[in-house]
Amino acid sequence: MCVLLSPPPPQVSVINTVDTSHEDMIHDAQMDYYGTRLATCSSDRSVKIFDVRNGGQILIADLRGHEGPVWQVAWAHPMYGNILASCSYDRKVIIWKEENGTWEKTYEYTGHDSSVNSVCWAPHDYGLILACGSSDGAISLLSYTGDGQWEVKKISNAHTIGCNAVSWAPAVVPGSLIEQPSGQKPNYIKRFASGGCDNLVKIWKEEDGQWKEEQKLEAHSDWVRDVAWAPSIGLPTSTIASCSQDGRVFIWTCDDASGNSWSPKLLHKFNDVVWHVSWSITANILAVSGGDNKVTLWKESVDGLWACISDVNKGQGGVSALPEGQQNEQ
Amino acid sequence: MEELDAEPPLMVVPGADPTARQLCFAWGPAEVLVCETLFGRRGAGEGGPSSSRVFVVRKDQDIYIQTLRKLFNESHGIFIGLQRSEEELAGKSRRAQLVQVSKNYRSVIRACMEDMHQAAVSTRDPALHSQYSTQVSILSAMELIWNLCEILFVEAAAAGPLLLRLLDWVRLHVCDVDNMVREVLSSENPSKHELFWNAVDVFVLQGRMDEARHLLAKEASANPTSVNMYKILDDLMKKMPVPSLGNTQTLTEMELKWQHWHEECQRYLQDGTFASNSHMESICKILLGDEDAILEKKELMTTWYQFLVTRLLYSHPTVKPMELRFYAQSSMDLFLGGESSPEPLDTILMAAFEFEMHQVIKECSIALSNWWFVAHLTDLLDHCKLLQSHNLYFGSNMREFLLLEYASGLFSHHSLWQLGVDYFDHCPEYGRVYLELHIERIPLNTEQKALKVLRICEQRQMHEQVRSICKIMAMKALRNNRLGSALSWSIRAKDAAFATLISDRFLKDYCERGCFSDLDLIDNLGPSMLLSDRLTFLGKYREFHRLYGEKRFSEAAKLLLMLMTAHIAPCSFWMTLLTDALPLLEQKEVIFSAEQTYELMRCLEDLTAGKSDKQKFQDDDVETMKVEMLRLALARNLARVIVKEGTLEGS
Repeated sequence: MCVLLSPPPPQVSVINTVDTSHEDMIHDAQMDYYGTRLATCSSDRSVKIFDVRNGGQILIADLRGHEGPVWQVAWAHPMYGNILASCSYDRKVIIWKEENGTWEKTYEYTGHDSSVNSVCWAPHDYGLILACGSSDGAISLLSYTGDGQWEVKKISNAHTIGCNAVSWAPAVVPGSLIEQPSGQKPNYIKRFASGGCDNLVKIWKEEDGQWKEEQKLEAHSDWVRDVAWAPSIGLPTSTIASCSQDGRVFIWTCDDASGNSWSPKLLHKFNDVVWHVSWSITANILAVSGGDNKVTLWKESVDGLWACISDVNKGQGGVSALPEGQQNEQ
Repeated sequence: MEELDAEPPLMVVPGADPTARQLCFAWGPAEVLVCETLFGRRGAGEGGPSSSRVFVVRKDQDIYIQTLRKLFNESHGIFIGLQRSEEELAGKSRRAQLVQVSKNYRSVIRACMEDMHQAAVSTRDPALHSQYSTQVSILSAMELIWNLCEILFVEAAAAGPLLLRLLDWVRLHVCDVDNMVREVLSSENPSKHELFWNAVDVFVLQGRMDEARHLLAKEASANPTSVNMYKILDDLMKKMPVPSLGNTQTLTEMELKWQHWHEECQRYLQDGTFASNSHMESICKILLGDEDAILEKKELMTTWYQFLVTRLLYSHPTVKPMELRFYAQSSMDLFLGGESSPEPLDTILMAAFEFEMHQVIKECSIALSNWWFVAHLTDLLDHCKLLQSHNLYFGSNMREFLLLEYASGLFSHHSLWQLGVDYFDHCPEYGRVYLELHIERIPLNTEQKALKVLRICEQRQMHEQVRSICKIMAMKALRNNRLGSALSWSIRAKDAAFATLISDRFLKDYCERGCFSDLDLIDNLGPSMLLSDRLTFLGKYREFHRLYGEKRFSEAAKLLLMLMTAHIAPCSFWMTLLTDALPLLEQKEVIFSAEQTYELMRCLEDLTAGKSDKQKFQDDDVETMKVEMLRLALARNLARVIVKEGTLEGS
């Protein structure tokens, strides 16, 4: 047998192409917790849910209720059942639930004065809580209190001109890690980050049932388009990624547990607006979607530098992938 | 800010629409979602063409290849064995043990290669055939690299044995020799076969002297005129000193012998002994390590590393490990001769010859499509305590880094994820948290799977995950109206609120249907009954019914009363309980004592007094009648019991 290392097979394969039949631009697509269902939302005002197991695509629901382009969808943790939130230009946030095999609207929030741009579910440990950021500059927090009831807390003027993104910090129990006796809820310190048209990233903390602005992170020179708080891998550091109209992506880290000193590191300056940042589930890769038709993936090497490990590009013809540089060595 | 060793590679996702659109990206637990969008459009209703497709993209496809399954499964066993192996063994025995582990890995690779080869041969689908064949060559390359690493790093063969190992290594991985030889030997006149001398040369190049001599003998017998020449050459080949594996001679002794032998060959050549037979002359030159002569046989060697080993055999048989790098580099240069540039495999092997372990790992990471190879090899090298001696400060972290990547990849597979658990267990820094993050994403399609995942979490005291999984299962069961299952899951999750919810459902069902479902479960709650008040009530209420069924009336009565007086029963249920008391009151025998009867009356009054006028107005006739009946029954019972208690015994 001759030995040769022929060019490695493509390392990225499209295992499924879901034809959503949306009649207009798709703005968001999200897998559920287990990767079995896909939710998409579009300018055609609908939210669709597909079963994508085993490479298939079965439309489970075509949800109508919004009166404008739907910007984002977010799956809640499965322990609360099958629940999906969507937010739209029509100023509404709708929470959909699967009951007896069918998807229905279970709650509609109309407390914002303009487009709601972003929704994000809190860590399941806090209960069923949804944060919503809107172009009216406010952030609302919808908490499920039981029996179909939702309680609303609103942070008005969170960001002047508008809030573009919200992202929750992972749940970390302060103090001891001894198992709590049943029925008692540990004292979580709830935090989330938001990004707005005031070029700021803000961190909010709940104190005595009220939400207070804990930190203001300044580094961007234009609207912050997205923020993403990295999942926790047990280190005392917290990490937030932010991206902006100014083409920059910053990685913010805070070393101490009290959350007081955040320092930014510039990941990269792109040539165009950066719209979207997101972390993989073990937080070791950051995906950045920019103005060009590419998504770049970044990884932190052990010496703290960030390296771009690949570009995912949309293009014509067949898949042609090249070997991937896996890590950065000194 | 970024340091890049190479340009980040471009991964293209096929999309038909070439217009400038942006890519929306989302992480799934295993896959990644990509779809075309236009971020800038934040207004409403701008028209324009758009793509309605979402691409589900996966990075590591290898775990889904059926024939590689054996590789993952068996190497997992070897990996675990290595982690648990005796570290107290030192020196030679430890090294022998590690070499054995390395050989085990290699035999797994070879077995997989065999399977893959079979699959390639037996399939009729050209695409599959091509895929399998590619896999075969990749596995073959992996074995080649691993084998070399075993020789140089794990065994750390010293000068002398080093050459022998390298000879074996080359012999194992060269193509088509045996076929050619068989062809020659099976012909009528082997020595006249056009490939005859090729066969002889190949044997000589690989240092397979006995086989070469065996072939040469055929030439001698067919060609009497060359007998003398043959005898001399044969003798030289027989006498060639080779390093020995045992301790039968020192290196110096061997070198001396070799020097003498070399000079003897030289003399014969210069005397023109072989002048009349160019083939034999060229063989003699090869024996003398003449580079040009060896290079002439380039097609027979096919690779620069065979050329290297041949060179070493005939010019520096006692080469030291650290000297390899020079010979390797020059061999590659001479062999490729500027005609072709090194391929990934060449770069990896070169790095190995240069003892640049980290470079080997890095190049393999780039060239190979999944983490299997580098993760296991690095782990082995780490056990050989080789990585720590390198001066890169993340030496031992590299092992964990690669294992984490490999194991993470396994988690997207519906059954291989179980292997991943063990790998995470052996990553001391981040293994646990990675496991926590990944195990939550395993779809809990069946109860068995959920129990399996649960067991893994419980074994590792991952309490949060246990709770989370139980809650998810409870919720699922409730959605499917399997109350018993929902209840037992919520008990396991120690979720009081949920248990209360489900108990309420049970009680509601009872009120509607008059019987309990899932009796077994409720009867055997035991101490978990205390999880929630409602659950306690449910359990006790069922106990009441059981006692009644067993005709243990006074115990039943006591329990019933206690449920109300101890406020275990919710107020909403009191009416039902009092109604349950009716048959006990109507028994021929008096069951409730006077005191108990007074208690019951008080409960009834509390209940009716608690109702507002409005509620009383809304009470229908049935309700009013019930209350009246109860009052009557209680009064009658009171009358009977006063008499009974007032009567002296025996009088």
